[in-house]
Amino acid sequence: MARRYVIIGASLTGATAAITLGEEGAEGTVTLIGAEHEPPYERPPLSKAYLRGEVPFDKALVRPAAFYAEHGIETMFGTRVTRIDPSARFVELEDHRRVPFDALLIATGGRNRRVSIPGGDLEGIYGLRTVQDADRIREEMIAGRRVVVVGMGFIGSEVAASLRQKGLNVVAIDPSKTPLFRVLGEAVGQTIADLHRAHGVRTIFEDTVATFEGTRRVSSVVTKGGLRLECDFVVVGIGIEPAVDMLEGSGIVVDNGVVVDEYCETNVSGVYAAGDVANHYHPIFDRRIRVEHWQNAIKQGAAAARNMLGKRVVYDEIHWFWSDQYDANLQYAGFHTKWEQLVVRGRLDSPSYLACYVNDGRVDAAVGLNRAKDVRRVMPLIKSRRAVDLEKLRNEGLDLRSLHASP
Amino acid sequence: MATEFVTAIMTSEIPAGGITAVDVRGTRVAVANVGGTYYAFDDACTHEQCSLSEEGEMTGTTVTCTCHGSEFDVRTGKVLAPPATVPVKVYPVRVAGDALQIEV
Repeated sequence: MARRYVIIGASLTGATAAITLGEEGAEGTVTLIGAEHEPPYERPPLSKAYLRGEVPFDKALVRPAAFYAEHGIETMFGTRVTRIDPSARFVELEDHRRVPFDALLIATGGRNRRVSIPGGDLEGIYGLRTVQDADRIREEMIAGRRVVVVGMGFIGSEVAASLRQKGLNVVAIDPSKTPLFRVLGEAVGQTIADLHRAHGVRTIFEDTVATFEGTRRVSSVVTKGGLRLECDFVVVGIGIEPAVDMLEGSGIVVDNGVVVDEYCETNVSGVYAAGDVANHYHPIFDRRIRVEHWQNAIKQGAAAARNMLGKRVVYDEIHWFWSDQYDANLQYAGFHTKWEQLVVRGRLDSPSYLACYVNDGRVDAAVGLNRAKDVRRVMPLIKSRRAVDLEKLRNEGLDLRSLHASP
Repeated sequence: MATEFVTAIMTSEIPAGGITAVDVRGTRVAVANVGGTYYAFDDACTHEQCSLSEEGEMTGTTVTCTCHGSEFDVRTGKVLAPPATVPVKVYPVRVAGDALQIEV
């Protein structure tokens, strides 16, 4: 039966969904609508290799620009959706055109969180979400210049590392005790702080920006703690908020993003959400989770597409992501908010460790620094939800695969 | 330069289910032992050049580069999972007595 599949958000999630619809035999039309002008691209390089000028933009494209037309996917890039009417089954564009759908995927992602700090509208203050944002920062990246990085989450940490690698003088400031504090906690976060300091970043924690100062263009950052940081420019990385404004009045439930079930479906039948914007019910962790990472963008985009085709696929991926900083490879798998025990293979004060966040003897999540194989091998333990022998978990002489449940 | 089979390593040096790297005429080649069948491919992952002999994990005939999760079929080099998009180069192999020869 010919159906009209419409996807809003032409990034990694939306593109993966469109590609999956085609590969899995969608009959009808597939329309991919996105506010950005470029064909869908991946964002991880924007804070790393692309920002440092090591790879061209083409390398970040999900598919070559010509792919979509060649595969019968109708694209409307540079086009913003302003409204969704789920009962009349159409989305409305900013020029008031209406695009009807039978099945709809919301993959609108997020936009950078803004805070109103005095002087925040001075020139030379940048966020990072899009390739244009990355290009603006690249123009400022001249060795020897002074930059203040505000926020040491994943984006701030990666940008600080890239800027140091290009020879800039970097001061990083964050209100928490360490980088990545909210996700990884103090003990692990401290190791990331050490990594940045070892590479010459000046770190300021438990302090925040009071004002940006300068005439026309920012020239210094003044903190609430009373520090004055002279600078040539500023990069702010303080997180995103889900892009849901087009859902106002639609009746689609929004709570920390678009609320969806384990089939990526919203409260409105036939309307789905995936990627950064989707607050999804995760059956393994028995709670809702919203994830802003690359693997979820791909896997949930594909799962949503299969559900748009009526295949009833439960999305229960163990979330995983990496963050390369300098020559260090940081990876996280699973999900946790709190933990009773932090069980470490190796030592946190060494260049390579795996730290497991344990509750009730179960590994809920793990983070590895230069421990890629261990992260991969701990994932089946996380998925099993079973208590593990913590002494064995800690024992570096044991291959983690020996702790996997026997088939 | 024409390719030819070059003795690269003793088969006993490649553990079952494991991957070992060898230098063959200046090329760093990874060799995997899948249940007594050997496969040779470029050691550098095509995504960000992680060493597949060091960071790769074998599951059947699939090698996962654990740095960023790319997966390749070691029989053909085909990409099975992103972020890699470019296949890894594979090399013909043959067993000659106790030795593994690789055509480069």
